Amino acid sequence: MKEGFRQSMAWLHTWSGLLVGWVLFMVFAAGTASYFKDEITFWMKPELHAVAQNAVPPVKAVESAVAYLQQRAADSPRWFINLPNERQPSTDVLYLAPPAPAGAAAAVTGAKPGEKPRRRFDRASLDPATGEAVSAPRVTRGGEFFYRLHFDLHYMPALWARWIVGFCAMFMLVAIFSGIVTHKRIFKDFFTFRPKKGQRSWLDAHNVTAVLALPYHLMITYTGLVTLMFMYMPWGPQVAYKDRGGEQAFFSEAFPGGGRDQIKASGNRVPLAPIAPMMAQASAHWGGAAVGRVTVHQPNDANAVVSLTRAEGPQLSYDQPSMQFNGATGALIGAFGDVPKPAAETRGVLYGLHIGRFGDPLLRALFFLSGLAGCLMVATGLLMWAVKERQKFAKTLKRGGRVSFGLRLVDGLNLGAIAGLPVAMAAFFWANRLLPVDVAERGEAEIRWFFIVWGATAVLGLLRPTLRMWQAQLALGALLFAGLPVLNAFTGPAPLTVSLRTGPTSVAGFDLVVIALGLGLAGAAWIVERKRRKSIAKQAAAKTQPPPSTLATSGQGS
Amino acid sequence: MTTDSLLLGLVFAASLAGFCALSLAMDRHSEDVFGRGSTPGPWRRWLQLGGTALLCLSLGASLQAAGSAIGWVLWLGALTAAALTTVGLLSAVPGRFHWIASAAAVLALGAALLHLVLAALAAS
Repeated sequence: MKEGFRQSMAWLHTWSGLLVGWVLFMVFAAGTASYFKDEITFWMKPELHAVAQNAVPPVKAVESAVAYLQQRAADSPRWFINLPNERQPSTDVLYLAPPAPAGAAAAVTGAKPGEKPRRRFDRASLDPATGEAVSAPRVTRGGEFFYRLHFDLHYMPALWARWIVGFCAMFMLVAIFSGIVTHKRIFKDFFTFRPKKGQRSWLDAHNVTAVLALPYHLMITYTGLVTLMFMYMPWGPQVAYKDRGGEQAFFSEAFPGGGRDQIKASGNRVPLAPIAPMMAQASAHWGGAAVGRVTVHQPNDANAVVSLTRAEGPQLSYDQPSMQFNGATGALIGAFGDVPKPAAETRGVLYGLHIGRFGDPLLRALFFLSGLAGCLMVATGLLMWAVKERQKFAKTLKRGGRVSFGLRLVDGLNLGAIAGLPVAMAAFFWANRLLPVDVAERGEAEIRWFFIVWGATAVLGLLRPTLRMWQAQLALGALLFAGLPVLNAFTGPAPLTVSLRTGPTSVAGFDLVVIALGLGLAGAAWIVERKRRKSIAKQAAAKTQPPPSTLATSGQGS
Repeated sequence: MTTDSLLLGLVFAASLAGFCALSLAMDRHSEDVFGRGSTPGPWRRWLQLGGTALLCLSLGASLQAAGSAIGWVLWLGALTAAALTTVGLLSAVPGRFHWIASAAAVLALGAALLHLVLAALAAS
């Protein structure tokens, strides 16, 4: 009975993992990159690397941002001001374009309504000290692209994508639990890795990357589902708030003071009250913690509301308390989220654990490391399926036959996903620096290059899933990644020689990490080369003399 | 700042030394390091005890360094990093493994002592 249970769990583990493995690999890789999404975005805007790094008091930053917005978007229904912090040196403002009549409004505010018809948002990065737009940083989605990619995918409605990713995450959870049951020797094999032993080595690598980072894998999969729980399981709020305004009412009650509140304009123009005293009041209320984001609803209207949200600090929870002020008089309306309710706090902590924004760089580096372990776990799991399956064809192959369509398909998809994705990610960074700065829809153009390259690697992988192709793609990925610091030296003001000495440190960190990733990929390419030589030698030996009945070689293919 | 980096160093050194000790308490890894047929023998208990103690020390330092909430996250992250390092060392440099492990243990104990001394000085 016991054996039967374990075997059925092994079956479940194999198939639940294989079916969604390729999507999971992408989700893991893009999600892992997202721990440093601000740093990635910063690296992708080399125009900002030269901005003075000296800190500006937040009050000054807010005042200069408000001055900028008053000039260009006095009529906008909503402003968002993200204050600078150590991860992001510029003040980022975002404002809703004023409602129609667009022609007149655009002339007043300088907003270009035709440019982004989808969102009607305009954004700018300001130098916190002067309030001037930073010399036009190139348009890029930056790290935000990876962040979105890992749950919204791309080229499809976000809602579908989230269902797909949620489905895969659920399978991942099943694979983790069934994997724990299947793995008979978790503690005996805790430290075991036996290299150069074919299938044994793949299994060891899979076990080590899975077991040693197990707390992370469990946490990230479960909390990933929690982040979108109101979408996957909306029924609770739907039923409970049926007669009280539906889900919208639930959200504004459960997460008060958020940006969701809809505030109507009165039509009476009243100048906006100064924000500096509000910030001082909020900061004092939070025991000296800084303000991270300022949202102004209906600026310059009698109904204006200023909402201040605390800066992300060393708390696990993602939900930050906020305070609201009357934007016309400057009077306090209320403080929200100071003592979150237990359920909201639980969700906030789980959410916060997933995105890891509470952490200092060291902690996020540990998350990043565990995330890489997750990528390797998925990759080795996928490869192992191919290695095992190939053994069934050992005799056929020896007779010069071919493997089944399924194995060929898995081989190709493995190649395109595991070796192709790093190439595509690196290509995204190269496109960022090499595309002309003024090309139309530049952010989307970079993303297009990502998918062109990924598509090309996948097609090539499906056409020729051979060791040669693995080697070529891994080596290409290694070259592209390791070459990024060189590219940065030629296309930005902060090459490694400068950034290591005088900063910006995040640029230096990016360069060092991509070098390490490049070396890792080069190591993988080297391992493939060794394997290729071995299999060639074996084939040669098999030709010259009739083979003594050797065991199935797992070294072929993967 | 200095005490912080001291504590962080302690977290990593102690968890690495702890996992190294726990691995040496196992026959297979004892053979990896000291050659075929060697077993930890009477040392097994002590290695297991010491390894566990070092992991607990790492937890304590982590809670001290990052607070009782984030400290746990930091500790689990450090454990993952240390365990991966242990596996890497075992397969890459088995011949020098016990020296590296001892160095990590000495570092951890030294950092713990130094931290206690500094805390005592600051208190007095």
